[in-house]
Amino acid sequence: MQDVRDNTADLLERLKRAEEALHLSRIGSFSWRVATDEITWSEQLYRIFEFDPQLTVTIELIGSRVHPEDIPSLNDIIDRARNAVGDFQFEHRLLMPDQSVKYLHLTAHGTRNEDSELEYIGAVQDVTRRQSSEEALGKARSELAHVARVMSLGALTASIAHEVNQPLSGIITNASTCMRMLEADPPNIDGARETVRRTIRDGHRAADVITRLRALFSRKEAVTEQLDLNEATREVIALSLSELQANRIILRAELANDLPHVTGDRVQLQQVILNLLRNASDAMSSVDNRPRQLLIRTKSDGNGAVRLSVHDTGVGLEAESIPKLFDAFYTTKSNGMGIGLSVSRSIIEKHQGSLWATPNDGPGATFSFSIPHVTDASANAGANHERAARQAL
Amino acid sequence: MSTRPLISVVDDDESVRESLPDLLKEFGFDTQAFASAADFLSSDWVGRTNCLILDVAMPGMTGPDLQRELTLRRQEIPIVFITAHRDDHVRPRLLEQGAVECLFKPFTETDLLAALNTALRVS
Repeated sequence: MQDVRDNTADLLERLKRAEEALHLSRIGSFSWRVATDEITWSEQLYRIFEFDPQLTVTIELIGSRVHPEDIPSLNDIIDRARNAVGDFQFEHRLLMPDQSVKYLHLTAHGTRNEDSELEYIGAVQDVTRRQSSEEALGKARSELAHVARVMSLGALTASIAHEVNQPLSGIITNASTCMRMLEADPPNIDGARETVRRTIRDGHRAADVITRLRALFSRKEAVTEQLDLNEATREVIALSLSELQANRIILRAELANDLPHVTGDRVQLQQVILNLLRNASDAMSSVDNRPRQLLIRTKSDGNGAVRLSVHDTGVGLEAESIPKLFDAFYTTKSNGMGIGLSVSRSIIEKHQGSLWATPNDGPGATFSFSIPHVTDASANAGANHERAARQAL
Repeated sequence: MSTRPLISVVDDDESVRESLPDLLKEFGFDTQAFASAADFLSSDWVGRTNCLILDVAMPGMTGPDLQRELTLRRQEIPIVFITAHRDDHVRPRLLEQGAVECLFKPFTETDLLAALNTALRVS
């Protein structure tokens, strides 16, 4: 009897500590019995939502706090959760009564209880602070992304060369013309003046390119580390969320649990993911007769590699264009340089992986890459492994 | 009816479309500029063009795409490619496919004139 009391006291103490830890890390927990829509919240979750703990939680109550722009994706995720047992993750915002915005990250795990009823238990983390710093980071990055959507040294060089050679070409052509106009008898002064005006404009254009590129040169070199592709993906999603929402895209993330780590350059891999997300988003920009759905999925492919795929419901791929997709300068976009996919592929290949595209059975296309994951042996190899990977990059 | 050779320029870069035709006129050629391969193909100038100055990388139909299309249509127009991407693999490939020359931007007027003279001798 004494033992039971001790155990109970111990358990309560541990629960209390767990609750405190969750409180400190701004994580709330919940359970949701799907058949009856019975929802239970932890105190912390009430605090995150800023609801009176006496209130009964309903889906309507939750909906009243969720940011209006995130409601469609919330409904989508609820529908999916109702129809299938599984795990899901969801990033969304709350619009608080004082108009401030909170960013939440929700993870839920689905099970069948003893009556074989579907039930979810999950955790909700308030990531507003992380989000704010990521937004600042995102703004800094988007400037760079504008110059070259993704960067690797080779692509960077190509991008610089292209961006600078265009105005230089204008400058030299205009100056040659100007010279000839002035040497003519009689000299063509008006024509010469016009070519000089264009020369000045193109000179400024070249200078602007250099200004934008300076940001790129200050970037750190490739850093190789062991990383969690899910986490890297979540960061990209957080960065892209507002852009995707502005484009009325419903994003769903299905990130595999226990995904083995990979070795690589976090920023480069994130740029590949960002590029795939943007391409998917662009591919859906003209779609108005069906939902613009984007599914990003990670999983272990069973062959010592992890796979990330981005599935869209966009305009899709024409069979004959697939071989050309990864060619540098092939583009279907008026504002693109067509280096995004070729650079993405070269980054993935440097990670000993592969990147490919497949048309969907339904509308749209799927772009996937797979890269080898860290094995126990390679994790133990430690320094050597890292050195080798750094050389490979 | 002018007897001066007609040089058509196809480039999505506006500053090229502004500056190059003026230089070509100074050389003594007639000239037309187009912002895309499709604009050129749908114009009345295809059959009258004596030499085509063609950008390699363009959105939609690229320069090499247009080259292939012209071959299919049996429009034997000598082509001088221009590109801001200095890729040493691209040049031999384009020449192999029948281009007269491939100039890397920025190019000198001497190189341009030499390429055009070769092209016009071919035609």
